Amino acid sequence: MYRVSADVGGTFTDVVIADDQGTLTLGKALTTPERSYRGFRAGLENAAESLGVSADEVLRGCNVLIYGTTRSTNAIVEGKVAKTAFLTTAGFPNILHYRQGGKEGVFDLSNDPIPPYVPRKYTFEIPERINAEGGVERELDEAAVADTIERLRALQIEAIAVCLLWSTVNNHHEERVAALLESALPDVPYTLSSRLNPIIREYPRASSTCIDASLKPLMQAHLRDLDSDLQAAGFGGQLFVSASTGGVMHADEIIERPILSVKSGPAMAPLASLAYSREEDTGDDIIVCDTGGTTFDVSLVRSGAVKYSRETWLRGKWVGHNLGMSTVDVRSIGAGGGSIAWVDQGGLLRVGPQSAGSVPGPACYGRGGTDATVTDAAVALGFIDPDQFLGGRMQLDVAAADTAVDRLAEQLGMRRDDTALGIIKLANEQMISAIREVTVNDGINPRDSIIVAGGGAAGLNILPIAEALGCRRVLVPRTAGGLSACGAHYSDIVMDFAASCYARSNDFDFASVNKTLAHLRSSASAFGRDLAKHDIDSFELSVFAEARYVGQQWEIEIPLDVPGDLDEGDIGGIVSTFHDTHQRLYSVTEPNSEVECINWKVRITAPLPSPAATTIETQLDEGQRRSTSAYFGGSGRQDAAVYFGAQLAPGAVVDGPAIIEEPTTTIVVYPGHAATLTSHGHYLLDTGSASSGTDLTNSNEEAS
Amino acid sequence: MTATIDSSTTTKATTDTAVRELDPIELAVMASRMEAIVREMTNTVILTARSSVIGLARDMSCSILTPDCELIAAAEGLPIHIYASTLQARSMHRQHPNFAEGDAYLHNDPYDGGTHPADHAIIVPVFWDGVHRATVVVTCHQADVGNALPTTYMAGAKDVYEEGALIFPCVKVQSEYEENQDIINMCRRRIRVPEIWYGDHTAAVGAARVGEKRLKEYFDQYGSAQVENFVDAWFDYSERRTRQAIRSGYSSGEVTVEAGHDPVGDLLPEGINVKATYVIDAERGSITVDQTDNPDCLDAGLNLTEATATMGTMQGIFNCLDDVPLNSGTLRCVDVVLRENCAFGIPVHPHSASCATAPTVDILVNMAQYAFAQLGSGMAEGNWSNSAGAGVVSGTDPRHGGRDYVDQVFLMGGGGPGTPTSDGLTYYLIPPGAGLLYRDSVEIDEQRIPFLVQSMRVLEDTAGAGEFRGGPATEVVYGPRLNEMTVINITNGQRRVPRGVHGGGDSTVGINEKVDAEGAVDVQPAFMQLTLEPGEVVRAVDQGGGGYGYPLDRDPKRVLGDVEEHFVSVEAAESVYGVVITGSVLDDTLAVNTDATVARRAAMRDAG
Repeated sequence: MYRVSADVGGTFTDVVIADDQGTLTLGKALTTPERSYRGFRAGLENAAESLGVSADEVLRGCNVLIYGTTRSTNAIVEGKVAKTAFLTTAGFPNILHYRQGGKEGVFDLSNDPIPPYVPRKYTFEIPERINAEGGVERELDEAAVADTIERLRALQIEAIAVCLLWSTVNNHHEERVAALLESALPDVPYTLSSRLNPIIREYPRASSTCIDASLKPLMQAHLRDLDSDLQAAGFGGQLFVSASTGGVMHADEIIERPILSVKSGPAMAPLASLAYSREEDTGDDIIVCDTGGTTFDVSLVRSGAVKYSRETWLRGKWVGHNLGMSTVDVRSIGAGGGSIAWVDQGGLLRVGPQSAGSVPGPACYGRGGTDATVTDAAVALGFIDPDQFLGGRMQLDVAAADTAVDRLAEQLGMRRDDTALGIIKLANEQMISAIREVTVNDGINPRDSIIVAGGGAAGLNILPIAEALGCRRVLVPRTAGGLSACGAHYSDIVMDFAASCYARSNDFDFASVNKTLAHLRSSASAFGRDLAKHDIDSFELSVFAEARYVGQQWEIEIPLDVPGDLDEGDIGGIVSTFHDTHQRLYSVTEPNSEVECINWKVRITAPLPSPAATTIETQLDEGQRRSTSAYFGGSGRQDAAVYFGAQLAPGAVVDGPAIIEEPTTTIVVYPGHAATLTSHGHYLLDTGSASSGTDLTNSNEEAS
Repeated sequence: MTATIDSSTTTKATTDTAVRELDPIELAVMASRMEAIVREMTNTVILTARSSVIGLARDMSCSILTPDCELIAAAEGLPIHIYASTLQARSMHRQHPNFAEGDAYLHNDPYDGGTHPADHAIIVPVFWDGVHRATVVVTCHQADVGNALPTTYMAGAKDVYEEGALIFPCVKVQSEYEENQDIINMCRRRIRVPEIWYGDHTAAVGAARVGEKRLKEYFDQYGSAQVENFVDAWFDYSERRTRQAIRSGYSSGEVTVEAGHDPVGDLLPEGINVKATYVIDAERGSITVDQTDNPDCLDAGLNLTEATATMGTMQGIFNCLDDVPLNSGTLRCVDVVLRENCAFGIPVHPHSASCATAPTVDILVNMAQYAFAQLGSGMAEGNWSNSAGAGVVSGTDPRHGGRDYVDQVFLMGGGGPGTPTSDGLTYYLIPPGAGLLYRDSVEIDEQRIPFLVQSMRVLEDTAGAGEFRGGPATEVVYGPRLNEMTVINITNGQRRVPRGVHGGGDSTVGINEKVDAEGAVDVQPAFMQLTLEPGEVVRAVDQGGGGYGYPLDRDPKRVLGDVEEHFVSVEAAESVYGVVITGSVLDDTLAVNTDATVARRAAMRDAG
């Protein structure tokens, strides 16, 4: 039997086959947006070939296929979603336009505002109003709704989002609108905010509702096409889809809530990281870094639990579109191999945020790019072998990289090598800031964690980044090039059910809260029982509250260890959990302050079998393949040994300076650092003692 | 007397001979890590604060200063807070020359560097290796500061006595990391809803201590000599970049610009006229602004302070320069000349500066942008109607046992200025807010306050037209649900409108009015103190921003988008932009009639 996962990105499709022994084999192919199966099939063939079997054999013998795609994310960013209508409470047609306010750049007014997710011309005001306690201030005007529905029909609207004020405490108006929509427009998919994401704050709720509705026609067609293509190819197992909850869902569930597929790829990476770290016994506190061509994604695992957030934005924080859902907290910054280096008006070297993308790409790609990028710097420094890029499938132009770097060197009055190293250092710095922000905001000292680094460009600079953060150890998995696709193999079915219900610790409305929790539990359990038809029999529920000190503006999520109804005896535990969490996050508590709970969440987790840890075969230790001249700072170039990963034996220790080439990634071992190939086939890197070794972190640059 | 605000007087004169071992890469690295500390402080305040004015709207800022009070880093702080912090740290040196590790000071003194009394700044000196190495400042706009009325904007106050704010001229609130309980008790007795104030105070002190801790780690990593080298090089770099931005964007020249404030009832029956002269020396890359020719301090709460009078102007200037950082190196390039006892300069006790962060400072930001548009590209003026959508509301909440509430709501929009490259923001708020402030959630506000927001929407044809138009104005309507509610607000912009530049159009006027249950309208004056009963509402309209460039040069596709978005009517598209729109929004057939548009625009150009 096989299990297969796919991560379909904008450019590449990664396919990972797990066999009965739990060995993961990665294949890559170009994505085919018009029919994703073709790209998947090519990737599958690529991986199957390494296993010495045919793709058809794999498919026929596959009982679980987990499919992840950036289709929905890209559709949002490119504006290629369904023609969607937004039904809002009368008086509030511009919620999606105002958003939450805020922007980056104090003095920067030079950018056009991004249009609202649903344009005003498809936004319709529904006469009705509910107040903060759920009372009806204005009855729903059903005749007006009927008129609106006729407009929607005339406009040939393809999807409908309904988000009315305070539907979180009283959903009757939204449900009534739904009933009218179903009878009048039975074929048009719609989303209700009170069903999808019943949390307080109208903007994020409306935004998630509109995004969800807008994806329904598209993802429905996309997944149904895939399903029929797979069945035609003889696939008879279960089809799962990766979700931003960090779990997977059956395709039918994603068709119902396609917003869960947005940003789902990066949400898988923490799971693979946790599995690898456990294999190596390097702990449950993990910083997960995934470096691609244009972005660097950071996420966190703390005590074995993935960190979540409700602030996931597309097209820019504050100015773009907020997903508004609780998703794996993946912080993305525009720093990757393609980030362009430039010199500003004050003579300072800067990197990004502009990226050369894949077209024209870095100068060394030889596709017409002339700007120096991070990849060009790595080529100029001798870190990347021009003949071995992407396993030798793409020849790089060293002279073009040198020329691009030289142009900056001239402006800076610095040598080429120092300039190139500077580009790497500045890219490092952006990544270091991103990691600091994620960890420190969660009250975590990076020193106490291990970094798991994935992505094609991860190995270039992860060691100096780790050193700057004070992290001693870094794990680069053998399948680093496909961290997300691998992660899917370690994921469970995960689904969140949330609701708002106000309760204050010194005046706790047990009846309402217990009613809310009972409702959430019963929804989650119904979902769980439904899994039985797919032969998934066991699931567990975990309960969370979003709480704050009375009067605070923002909530924090705390776990509730309560199996049934809450009573007086539980309040002390809730409050003390809250104090502890607040202390960890902000280093301060207010022991005398009451706590108010705003939102409640029940998460159902149904475990799927994961690949077992494997050991790699003892390979022929051919040792050093060749040596190259590379620059790591200091007085001049040094000879660095170059190794092929496949020719190292388990337990082999590679001391820096050295370069290890793997088919999907390159690991640069800096002077003073070391890499060990583990028995599981991963690389465990060690920065040594923080004071020794390379100057790449800029700590105590020698006064030369 | 003339006070010259030029920070170069306190830095080393020998900028060219300063130690420079740092290469541009290390410089960027150290700067980025310094900014990261400010961001962490900022997040701490936002996530732990109590009042919506801080936690939701983020009307707060953090900064890191050198031991001699030069600004190193401020991340996304509000410029007027940030500039004040440099003056307030100097106040600490003067008032408490023996300040020590573990101290924290509370400063809101408008006569000694503060912005206005509602902005409580917490100042913490940071020691490393036994020596004062840096100062961190956290400034938060409090929801209440003990004023005579439940508002933090006492426009009508003849002097600081009528204003009633508790003034803290750099008062020690912590020694050896322990709170001075006397000060806390004093505030608890005089500040409305004291638990909110105390929660915010704790959030600010907590954030300052986070900054202190991180700075110590920073010094551990780099050592003090390296940090000093960095600071010198960072200021030099920023100065270089700013001078270059001035040179590349503008030629030498001088212009005098006037603007003003609407009449404010009996307080200012004639309004206020404001004047400033801007001189650009492109060769040196420097700017001098003379603001001395302005009225003496007013018998009203509208006087500016040294910080706001300086940074208001600087902010308008920096908005017009390409990508400049905010630190003392940049500040060296601009010299704003003020005089004492001047409403747009330095206030003299007991004149009130209760409203020194709005609305008069709005005028300075806008004037500078307008002036720079006369000397180069510049940009248009932005909304300066601080409508009742940002009013301070107060009363009691019957839903929670009649407990008191006082809070500023942030529901207004406010159109941003049209710029040489972009249309204005829709949530610009007012110029000092610069689009950085967050907006309130209607639902969160209705949970906190027993009121109902009836509507909040963009108004058509309110933005100044232009090749790049201003942001549109917003209308907000709200009123109490259960019992009476007081709304207090001060605004400009009910007569004066943000101006367009380079052929761009002006915006429209703002309105605050009370509407009773029968629909009768009672237009409110600039300084509004209104009590509403259930059934009554306030209708608050702010302004759009001015436009940039000729409307006839606007891309017709953008005009079509504006019509679809209800920013511009079909009629105005034709009469103002010369773009002939056909079809109807009802059946989604809106389109540009290209031939008719070409002809219409040609005719309009001929007509001049």
